[in-house]
Amino acid sequence: MPGIVNWIKTVFSLDKSARRTPEELQAAFRARYRSFRALLTANNNALEAMAEMEQTLQSGQTFSMAFVRSRSTAVMVNVYKMIQHLTVLSDGRYHHLETVFEKISTHLNDTLEEAPRVYSGEWIIPLTRLRRTMADEVGEKMANLGEVASLAGVKTPPGFVITVSAASYFLSANNLAPEIDRLLQMLDTDNLAEVYTASAAIQQMISNSRLPADLEEKIYSAYAELEKETKNDVTVAMRSSALGEDYAGASFAGQYHTELNIHKEFLGQSYKEIVASKYTSRAILYRLQKGYLHKDIEMGVGCLAMVDAAVSGVTYTRDPANPASSWVILNMTQGTAQRVVDGTCNTDLFLVSRQSPHMILQHRGANSVNSSGSGLAFPDILTMKWASRLTEIALILEAHFGSPQDIEWSINKQGEIIILQSRPMVAAIGAAGSDSFLSESESGEESSLCGLVIGKPCIASENGHFGFPQNNEWSIDKQGENNILHSKPMVDGTDEEDRDNSQDEQGAGHPLLRGLITGSQGVACGPVYLVRSSVDMLQFPKGAVLVVEHPLPEWAPLLTKAIALIGETGSVAGHLATVAREFAIPAVFGVVDGLKKLTNGDIITVDATNRTIYSGKREDLLAQAAQQPDLMAGSPVQGILRNLLQHITPLNLTDPGSPYFKSNYCETLHDITRFCHEKAVVEMFRFGEKNHFDQRAAKRLMGEVPLDWWVIDLADGFREGTDITDKTICMEDIVSAPMIAIWEGISSFPWQGPPAVSVRGLGSILFQSTMQQGLEPAVASPMTAKNYFLISKNFCNLSVRLGYHFAMIEAYLSDLLTESYVTFTFKGGAADTNRKIGRITLLSEILGQFDFRLEQKGDSLTARVEKRPIEFLRQRLKILGYLSLHARQIDMVMNNQASVNQYREKFLTEINAMLSKS
Amino acid sequence: MKTHQKILIVDDEADFRIPLAKIISRRGLTVDTAESCSKAMAKMTADPFDVIVMDVSMPEISGIHCLMLIKQEWPSAEVIILTGHASVNSGIEGMKGGAFDYCLKPIDTNELLEKIELACEKVRITRDESFQP
Repeated sequence: MPGIVNWIKTVFSLDKSARRTPEELQAAFRARYRSFRALLTANNNALEAMAEMEQTLQSGQTFSMAFVRSRSTAVMVNVYKMIQHLTVLSDGRYHHLETVFEKISTHLNDTLEEAPRVYSGEWIIPLTRLRRTMADEVGEKMANLGEVASLAGVKTPPGFVITVSAASYFLSANNLAPEIDRLLQMLDTDNLAEVYTASAAIQQMISNSRLPADLEEKIYSAYAELEKETKNDVTVAMRSSALGEDYAGASFAGQYHTELNIHKEFLGQSYKEIVASKYTSRAILYRLQKGYLHKDIEMGVGCLAMVDAAVSGVTYTRDPANPASSWVILNMTQGTAQRVVDGTCNTDLFLVSRQSPHMILQHRGANSVNSSGSGLAFPDILTMKWASRLTEIALILEAHFGSPQDIEWSINKQGEIIILQSRPMVAAIGAAGSDSFLSESESGEESSLCGLVIGKPCIASENGHFGFPQNNEWSIDKQGENNILHSKPMVDGTDEEDRDNSQDEQGAGHPLLRGLITGSQGVACGPVYLVRSSVDMLQFPKGAVLVVEHPLPEWAPLLTKAIALIGETGSVAGHLATVAREFAIPAVFGVVDGLKKLTNGDIITVDATNRTIYSGKREDLLAQAAQQPDLMAGSPVQGILRNLLQHITPLNLTDPGSPYFKSNYCETLHDITRFCHEKAVVEMFRFGEKNHFDQRAAKRLMGEVPLDWWVIDLADGFREGTDITDKTICMEDIVSAPMIAIWEGISSFPWQGPPAVSVRGLGSILFQSTMQQGLEPAVASPMTAKNYFLISKNFCNLSVRLGYHFAMIEAYLSDLLTESYVTFTFKGGAADTNRKIGRITLLSEILGQFDFRLEQKGDSLTARVEKRPIEFLRQRLKILGYLSLHARQIDMVMNNQASVNQYREKFLTEINAMLSKS
Repeated sequence: MKTHQKILIVDDEADFRIPLAKIISRRGLTVDTAESCSKAMAKMTADPFDVIVMDVSMPEISGIHCLMLIKQEWPSAEVIILTGHASVNSGIEGMKGGAFDYCLKPIDTNELLEKIELACEKVRITRDESFQP
């Protein structure tokens, strides 16, 4: 290593005060260089984690608190490492950074470690005393029911609530929280078997814990009061009422337990089991997916006298697919409402006019779904009177709560309507009105509503049966009169003519299967996976179409993996349908023989909107699919991530030449990374300055290529015998193999300068300048305008800055394949995000053609190629050298597809010409 | 990754400790395990290890405290701490206490092995340099 020896000798001769042996200096240099490399690695890791956090927030995809914590930790640890390495490099010069870091970390930790709520209220509250404002004490479900109970003319079951304070007391009395936290921390949520194991362990732990005697006494004393109000030994329904369970847009449909017909002696045990159901596997996964913190969810438990139900059902006050609908939807069955919501039975569905008189506009009977099932004698049971009364109550509740409601009810044997639950309705995701149960008349002239009714006759009459399922075309005229336009028998639940028409319209093959109910709109394509048991569930692959007989709430965890759901039975009001809509997973129910006719692995396209299933991939249908909604909108975890990012990503320290480019002006972790990176490069000079070899440390590269290029020799990158006192260097004196390759790329074709910018493009750049004060390319400081090569014989690190963008090429070329690598990072630009991303995409396309492994996050790109022969890597370095010069500032014209194509062609032509020469 | 350096895994959970030791030993490293800080200290005293992989949440003496004890006694040993999602602070505390790096649970085995390799390299370099005249 003669270069380094010469350099050391120079240092030695000039700095008499700090004499070190050449070996000591070499060791000091190595240590510094290691810190510098480690700092660059930490910088890269921190920026990657930041980009991932931003990208996740913007994507609208689901993410968990675990994600937020892990990425925050990654950013914090790597920024801390950068500070430590800069401290080593600068001999403690920037110690103030630690204080700045502490301040920012405190903000981040405060946000991350928000103390869970502490409850100290009553343990038992009678339903009659509850109001919706008490949701923090009893959970939304029971607070809402209390509010319902207070309304005139609306009846609820008598009962009481065991509050979240009681649950909190129960868990803390048994000191369960630390062990629960520990099990949840360890969880790999992608591994369902592991989630089940942890879930079972936690639930068992809670169920087996002792109920504190004072709490047990309070529960039994409230039960005694309920007995007085009803009858001795009254059986009760115990319902979960967790905090956050019924917030609009995030109903935890079916995630927690409800236990029916509980006898007095099992009150305590049932209570514990419902509290434990906070940790069912599906609830754990659901919270993770929806961004709820486990510690923020506490369990209230409603204890309500059982209703002796003749008929039960669920009412939606608006059509989930059409918020402007003029009808309510009633789903119902005989017996308890549980059968409607758990998806185990087919239901009768009625659409009833919201306008008084509340007429039945449509009826789809259970018979039309499954011919073997026992059809209900509707509307014998549900007369016009009940439909009308149910609708009246539904509209009272909607008006009172101020939003469309999802209402669970029963009609008891005495004919009283009892409201069991009222919560905000989760609307279907997709184009409003595109697949509502009814559609507004297209012409709008002759009738205000028209539609096709599948199933039983639509005109509600107490004895208006036709004797077999009918298809009826109908309309309501402007006077509100119902008119049957056409009626004909239906075969196998499907209209033959419709089937044929559909085939013609699609023009690409007969549907493989048809369903009867859209549970959740949308189109998706993927391989079939039939699930009949929990063993199937464990093996369910990500991205498959879930096919089940009954859409049970137990399958909910699979919706985090499935791309579509097919059920042989089911209703739009079922829990799984609700969850599917929340996750925007297309779901179609009433698909007769789905399990028989589909085979695992078959690729199918599920058009849930039109209730059809096609073999293979139907691009035309997929292209029409609605965009992914922001699933995390309004969730606490999204709020936390957004808060955290305020302290992490904004960049205030933009111009190293500015007097404000100081450690005490760092406001975010991004500022610290920028500061550390910049100062680390400077410190490489300081090492030289301190040792009186500043003139030796950085030399200006002389050549024909525009822009300023400077070279710092880290060890043996200069030719032996180079004049070390000269302030300049020529390429002839460089022996660094990677730098030579990069330079060949840079100098292969003359650079035409930045592209001409349209007024609009310039406007965008000026806008960016306004938004990022301190960044001003026209007055770029010497540091921002210079491009530095740090070299040794086998190593090269090129930092390229110009105006707003930053690129780095780093390479180590070694005969040992495992040591060799070339990396390229590129970030930023002056234009708006779309143009910056446009440039990144163009660079990705080009580099992808030359075997680079690419990672694109927002407007940053990382390209890597490693463990390849030297000649292969040299060629890649030439390409990067070429692009680092020629791709400058082209983001300004990336809004124009013609320009993009033109640049792509130019780049590829010139790169291929360059490579063919070598 | 052939090396003469020795790795010690310290974790109170056998379900984690034992499989991890097997994975690491398959990569040609010499591995031993300890289920607590005091057992780790005893093993270090008998025959010091080069790289220690340690969980932060352990009963009796926490991983962070144990890290400090180890760095005090054996400054050249490198410690990689393992931290759960809920303890974001322990990552920073570990680094402040002189940890070489941290790894999040659940572990990405390749990531951990890469970090072990880097820690081994650092130990080797430090040792080489300290023996130079």
